[in-house]
Amino acid sequence: MKKNDGGWSPYLAGGLSGLVGVFSVWFAGQFFGASTSFVRTAGMIEQLFGSERVAQMEYFINVVPRIDWQWMFVVGIFLGAMFSALTSGSFKLQAVPDMWAERFGTRSTGKRAVVAFTGGVVAMFGARMADG
Amino acid sequence: MKMLAYGLVTGFLFGFLLQKGRVLRYDKQLGALRLLDMTIVKFMLSSVMVGMVGVYLLQDLGLATLSIKSTVLGPVIIGALLFGLGWGLLGYCPGTSMGAVGEGRWDALWGILGMIVGAALFAEAFPFLQATIYNWGDLGRITVPQILGVNHWFIIPLFIVGAIFLFRWLEKKGL
Repeated sequence: MKKNDGGWSPYLAGGLSGLVGVFSVWFAGQFFGASTSFVRTAGMIEQLFGSERVAQMEYFINVVPRIDWQWMFVVGIFLGAMFSALTSGSFKLQAVPDMWAERFGTRSTGKRAVVAFTGGVVAMFGARMADG
Repeated sequence: MKMLAYGLVTGFLFGFLLQKGRVLRYDKQLGALRLLDMTIVKFMLSSVMVGMVGVYLLQDLGLATLSIKSTVLGPVIIGALLFGLGWGLLGYCPGTSMGAVGEGRWDALWGILGMIVGAALFAEAFPFLQATIYNWGDLGRITVPQILGVNHWFIIPLFIVGAIFLFRWLEKKGL
């Protein structure tokens, strides 16, 4: 594996991210998480089609479909990663990852879409079940 | 409003560090699952080490309260198995999928769409799940120090020493 691609040591970047987490707990009382925001997003989309049904669903009573701290945290991850990638020349538009392309070829965007979508459905169902 | 700003800034810093650590990539995530590249494990354990010291310190100083979720074996075990299966297919987790799109790896968008659908399906299944698997093996809000009946400052150094030994071994193996 090549090491000198402009990335930081995972120990340094990981340690600093732990520090960001500690400050978040200190100043905002918020622990890191992401999957709840996908539930809120699903609920907000469903509200467009029928808000009465959403209002009666038990899970959306517990996890209210609205924009909160964590939802903005998830948006921030997108923006922070983009800023870091663009300012370091490591931004790259890619339809299929390198390791995937080695196995399935670079022209397998459709197959990648199906597998990634299916994986997303299963992973999120599991993550929510385990309350993670 | 202030909380939303806190969330955005915190996420920005976290996303920046995730990208610098190169852990947003499919190749790194699959690399860890295939036991070829342990970058993600190094990043996560380093984060946990700093986080556990800081958060327990804040708690001892009365500046924060721990947010402990109930350990219910049924949903945790089944949910974790499903998550692992989905993660292996997608190659991104919920947080890193957003970061991956940020660095141009737009195949993560398929996963984000899938995860929104998965969340909607879970909301539909919730009443049924609550009546069944959520009752299997409820251990309550437990922590490791509490089960062992020792102070957390006994467990934390042990965890750190264990992690450092693991890091040394991974570096020796070139993982």
